[in-house]
Amino acid sequence: MSERDPDAELVARVGEQDPAAVRTLVSRKLPRLLALATRMLGDRMEAEDVAQEAFVRIWKQAPHWKEGEARFDTWIHRVALNLCYDRLRGRREDPVAELPDEADPQALPDMQLEARVRDERVRTALAALPVRQREALVLNYYQELSNIEAAALMGITVDALESLLARARRNLRAQLAGSGFSKDMP
Amino acid sequence: MTPERFRTIVDAYGADPRRWPDKERAAAEAWADLHRVEANGLLAESAGLDAWLASHTVAAPERAFVERIVAAAPARRPVKHRGRLWWQGAAFAGIGLAGGLAGAFAVSFFVLTGTPPQGHESSSYMTSSFDGSTADWSGE
Repeated sequence: MSERDPDAELVARVGEQDPAAVRTLVSRKLPRLLALATRMLGDRMEAEDVAQEAFVRIWKQAPHWKEGEARFDTWIHRVALNLCYDRLRGRREDPVAELPDEADPQALPDMQLEARVRDERVRTALAALPVRQREALVLNYYQELSNIEAAALMGITVDALESLLARARRNLRAQLAGSGFSKDMP
Repeated sequence: MTPERFRTIVDAYGADPRRWPDKERAAAEAWADLHRVEANGLLAESAGLDAWLASHTVAAPERAFVERIVAAAPARRPVKHRGRLWWQGAAFAGIGLAGGLAGAFAVSFFVLTGTPPQGHESSSYMTSSFDGSTADWSGE
């Protein structure tokens, strides 16, 4: 890795128990970890548990963190993904069976209602993807990791990642086809 | 860049060139410019899904949750607090030392001169008990 880890200095300060650094790290990483876990698990409460547990590990690791082996951001993604997989393995029911709450048409203005319905459709379609396809898409599209970083995190080649991504997108298109999906912008 | 590779890139990463692999972005964009009709067909198909994906958002963490995470972090003791304690200790020690010195000075003054400090309001009662004995010692 030739570039400096943008989080290295902050993590070092967290390791020294600097309260301002702790708060900065939380505001920088918590939304990312929460988004990752929410999309992987499809459950906000479980996602919060995962994020909280990930931070417990961050606090433990920060004093010993050494720059150069892996980016800190990549490492916390690995931690959060492992925690997500622990929970996914413990599930017996198919998460697809959990349908999103229906929005009350009287309660929301048209624009908000449409956005909410669209959001729920995508959430349901994501939850229906095979886990590895969902992981590839979430890491590359939503978490905006590079193809090399995402492939390394998943322990696969870039070619294999591209194959997972293409299949994920094909599956999503097929699922959303019944939801008014078209080539045009939604 | 081949047509197959361009299709693979768009199928995997979508229609937005910013999401394409860094090393291939320029070549893929150049290929699309040269093959506009073919490229537009592929890009339009992917752009629709990109827009759907972008419409899915995750709510930001609530403030109380953020505070719980922050509170769980190990925190060092503020340096200011420790400094204040040090000064408080020194102040107590100083006052105690000053009191001790004042007491020692008063006692030694009384012993050397044989007289209590001036201005003592009870001097008449003090002298009335020992007047006689003082005269007896001088006689020896």
